[in-house]
Amino acid sequence: MESPPLQAAPATILEEQANTAKRPGPFRNVTSHWADYMYILPALLVMLLVIGYPLVYTIYLSFFETPPSTGGRIFNGIDNYTTLLRSERFWRITRNTFHWTIWSTLFAFLIGFGAALVVQKQFIGRGVLRGILLIPWVISQVAAAYVWRWLYHSDYGLISGMLMEWGIMNERFIFLDSTRWVMPSLVIANIWKEFPFVMIMMLAGLQTVPDQLLRAARVDGANSINQFLHVTVPHLKNIIVVTVLLLLIANLNSFGLVWIMTGGGPAGASEIWIVSIYTTAFRNLQFGLASAFSVILFIFMMTLGYFYVRALTAGTSSQEFAR
Amino acid sequence: MSATTPTVRNRRRPWRRPENIVAVVFMTALLIYTVVPMLWMLSTSLKSQFAALQQPPQWIPEHLTFDQYRTLLSPYNDIGRDFLRYLVNSIWVSLASTVLGVAVAVPAAYAFSRFNFPGKNALFFSVLVRNMFPLVVFLIPLFILMRNLRLVDTHMSLIVTYLTFGLPLSIWLLKGFYDNIPPQLEQAARIDGATRFQAFWMIVMPLSSPGIIATAIYAFIQAWNEYVYALTFLNSDRLLTLPVGLQRFFAEYSTNWPGLMAASFIMSVPVVVLFLILQKHFVRALTEGAVKT
Repeated sequence: MESPPLQAAPATILEEQANTAKRPGPFRNVTSHWADYMYILPALLVMLLVIGYPLVYTIYLSFFETPPSTGGRIFNGIDNYTTLLRSERFWRITRNTFHWTIWSTLFAFLIGFGAALVVQKQFIGRGVLRGILLIPWVISQVAAAYVWRWLYHSDYGLISGMLMEWGIMNERFIFLDSTRWVMPSLVIANIWKEFPFVMIMMLAGLQTVPDQLLRAARVDGANSINQFLHVTVPHLKNIIVVTVLLLLIANLNSFGLVWIMTGGGPAGASEIWIVSIYTTAFRNLQFGLASAFSVILFIFMMTLGYFYVRALTAGTSSQEFAR
Repeated sequence: MSATTPTVRNRRRPWRRPENIVAVVFMTALLIYTVVPMLWMLSTSLKSQFAALQQPPQWIPEHLTFDQYRTLLSPYNDIGRDFLRYLVNSIWVSLASTVLGVAVAVPAAYAFSRFNFPGKNALFFSVLVRNMFPLVVFLIPLFILMRNLRLVDTHMSLIVTYLTFGLPLSIWLLKGFYDNIPPQLEQAARIDGATRFQAFWMIVMPLSSPGIIATAIYAFIQAWNEYVYALTFLNSDRLLTLPVGLQRFFAEYSTNWPGLMAASFIMSVPVVVLFLILQKHFVRALTEGAVKT
């Protein structure tokens, strides 16, 4: 990007010349570059095996009934899909998933962005502060899930205990065992885990906001709120979109936290798509049904993915993008 | 003039500016939110099982005890033996998938950075798109694939899976590093008679080693923390990795909260240390791609 003419002339001196001499037919082009493909071949093979094949197979399997007793499969068309879409449970799980995803994303984003704005400033202890704030993001979901489960414990948990100790509550507060509060409790734990990711992304973004722009706005009499709204945010539009989409996707796929903290309970109050797919497949052994469920989730994510790619490539020509 | 007066005054007492007060309040609250669970993990792990259940909760244990850690890290009792085995399993699976993953990602990233071949854009694009699927969707078919390959309940299944999951991001990160190494260096080597591979191996590789290390650490952390696939692919007790092993530990020895917290703490230490050491490097590498576009 910094020096396009130099970048455009990579190390392919000899090949490049040889190619221009001949007629650059598409097939010749491919064969003359066979050595280049060797570099990406291993990566390609592994990804085909572990990603390409399963993808096709999920779609295939979603049209079959797979009775766990026999282990065989019976073609049943789109029955799996209609069963799912007609069941009340599916829509309840979908509602849970939306609550989980949207609230987690919204607050993780706001808190992370706020943290980035503070940490971006110069002050003593800034590096230490940033390091501490990043820790929840680095540790495993499993460790996070156990700690939060312990914090929320209804008999011996810290939060409940302190609420009583300080006289805010008269009796123990039930977090994870109450259908009303289980989702908010899980979301709070989830935000704890992922706001640092937003902070990192936004910190990197904030560094790209040109100082001159901010100074110009200040000269024009903009206060800091106006500077933020009219200079910083528009400049970061792209990275904001990318970050939010990555958060949405990560939350839609988040499994460990919910699985360990509640397993989807109580009474299905915290059951989200991924948890339900897991139980359908590996507890009830209904692989066909679970595959159909996966395909629905996949279609949903493809839609988000479309916007993700568009955001990534926005304002960049394909040439620059592929560099 | 009216605009300059407060600025001058504020420069002398920066904490008086309303936005700074807001920032300090916000950051204090956020710090409490972030730190309390971590400290509570540590504090609980240093209590006896009895003390952990005391109400009101003790912030600092009255009687510090390292019993939980001693039990977990000693091979002379059942719990410790299991725990150490999970630890070794985790190290092995994470290391193997990291090393293999980087070995596959390096040439691919280099090709995407330097060469111009038909289909390059489309291929890189597919790498990118995959970047956004945290592959839980593929849990079922991968499980069936592994079953057909007779890899279920082996470490190999996890190593292959983790190495693949890490690939797209590794390629993406490494490509960023290669983009920052001027191609003139290789051109000079080529003029001096090196083959293209030699130029890559002898000039570019040494220069990009910080990038490779950052990428490897990222891949390692991902593998170390992974849970769903380990939960699905492994059945035998002796093969479990730490995240899954912890769950078993939890169920089997009833609710030994101090033990569980100590185990979580031990599991978190390596990744936190690795991360903090390379924090700056790592954060830059991770965000470069997103910001550059």
